[in-house]
Amino acid sequence: MKTGKKAGMEQKLFRQYLIIVIPGLVIFTIGLIIPLLLSVRYSLTDWDGMDLQKKFVGFQNYIKMFQDQEFKDAWIFTIKFTVFNTIIQNIGALLLALALDSGIKAKKLYRTVFFLPCLISALVVGFIWLKMFSNVLPALNERMGTDINFMLFGSKKTVLSGLLIANNWQWIGYWSLIYLAGLQSIPAELYEAAKVDGAGAVKRFFRITLPMLAPSITVCVVGITTGSLKVYDLLLSSTNGGPGRASVSVIYKTYTTALNGRQYGYGSAMTVTLVIALLLVAVIQVRQLKKKEVQA
Amino acid sequence: MRKSRKEKEASGKYTGGTLLLQITMTLVAALFMAPVLIIFNYSFKTKKELYINSPLSLPASLNFENYGKAYDKLNMGTTFFNTMMYTVISVLILTALCGITAWAIARCARKLFRFFYIYFIVGILIPAQALFLPIYTIGYRLHLVNTRYGIIFIYVATGMSFGIFLMTSFMSTVPIELEESARIDGCSVFKTYFLIVMPLLKPAMATLVIMQAFQIWNDYLMASLYVSKKQMKTLIVSMQALFSAQSSDYTTAMAAIVISVLPIAVLFISMQKYFIKGMTVGAVKG
Repeated sequence: MKTGKKAGMEQKLFRQYLIIVIPGLVIFTIGLIIPLLLSVRYSLTDWDGMDLQKKFVGFQNYIKMFQDQEFKDAWIFTIKFTVFNTIIQNIGALLLALALDSGIKAKKLYRTVFFLPCLISALVVGFIWLKMFSNVLPALNERMGTDINFMLFGSKKTVLSGLLIANNWQWIGYWSLIYLAGLQSIPAELYEAAKVDGAGAVKRFFRITLPMLAPSITVCVVGITTGSLKVYDLLLSSTNGGPGRASVSVIYKTYTTALNGRQYGYGSAMTVTLVIALLLVAVIQVRQLKKKEVQA
Repeated sequence: MRKSRKEKEASGKYTGGTLLLQITMTLVAALFMAPVLIIFNYSFKTKKELYINSPLSLPASLNFENYGKAYDKLNMGTTFFNTMMYTVISVLILTALCGITAWAIARCARKLFRFFYIYFIVGILIPAQALFLPIYTIGYRLHLVNTRYGIIFIYVATGMSFGIFLMTSFMSTVPIELEESARIDGCSVFKTYFLIVMPLLKPAMATLVIMQAFQIWNDYLMASLYVSKKQMKTLIVSMQALFSAQSSDYTTAMAAIVISVLPIAVLFISMQKYFIKGMTVGAVKG
């Protein structure tokens, strides 16, 4: 009798929890999961985005894609952008966080200054740096009597560096806050014990700080990598994919193919490829980094 | 407790090294601030000053003419209101929905709920930006395109994964004993959540509000696809016209930038304390 009542109670609880979860599940499924499945389906057709007819073409879009030099170039640009971003932004953010966790004064002020740029839309950031490189910094040249080439968006060789500067300016402060949160959760006793044992600052950094930061490192590395692979807004107002096609990213290419080129099916194949790449990268990174976390 | 000790220890010895670090950080911070100051500087310049003077020179006086022009050109009475409305409503729904959903997931021990958790979390890795095509198609089919609730729906759907992830990692800080005693006193599941759990989730909710608010406020891709009608446009989308290469009127653009960043900057600075607390728990434990 008693257990029956308890089971009934649990059943009632379960039903109530289920009612709570359902609205979220429905919204999430319609807004994100079904679109994902749809893009897989469209990628197997030659749909132009308007026609009622969607002819099934099998893997033709994918075969075409791997022979498409423009698509390959877009990937090469995106990968370069991502690799440099991941390295620079992680190291930069960690250095800033270490400084913000030290004994210096006015830490709050610095923290706010570094964080502010990420509140600005990437579209705006692109425009700001376009003006910085083309108007403001050359004026600085004039004033200082120097002749440094600041027109980074003007040449194929330097466009990547220019975009990296803009993107890092925007995001370093954000990630450094996550590192800072990680640093502040390391127990001070560990450092004291190490000091007693005579470990120097460098040794303390590599033996205590880095291993204890492993969870924050995972969050930052995965966040920066996947974020950079999705770059689009920044390009729109700064380089517009140029000069030539030197800064066309994967999403940029997908957008122009599907919407301007009216090749919706083909564009969907690009989308699917990007999603798979993103999932793979994230899973591999999380696995590798988690392994390190366990060892630590 | 620990922090206060740390601070004491730190302030105890302000060495030459610390001073050097202080100077370096001030320089770095100045570099970070430079573009922001340049924007402000531009936004107060007159057309004449823009063409004749160096970009580095200061304007003769603080004239707000550009701000007036930006207001008119971007139809800000409408676009500012639209952006504000989409952001506020989406963020409110997201916070309410993610909080209670994450709580149910964290508290119900059934396997099904474990599956729900993973189902939601996978979404963090699915880039909504990459899926803009089918998201548009499905919106078109459901008659969500060019409607206000349509864009809000999309922001909620694409923001949920992160919200649930953040909230679930926060649930461990909510003492379960309180909930159990509330239940024994006869509280329903809903009442338990609203009376006991939700007040304890404030830091997590503040974190979520900031993280989502600035993303939604600044969104370009979804807004440009979903709400292209003039009376529904957002600020960022209409700003793009000012950014085109042909446009030489960038003092107006700079004033528009200042206006567009202001609400989010105020939100961040006023909620900073909660936000950093939330980041510590959410990011590091997750």
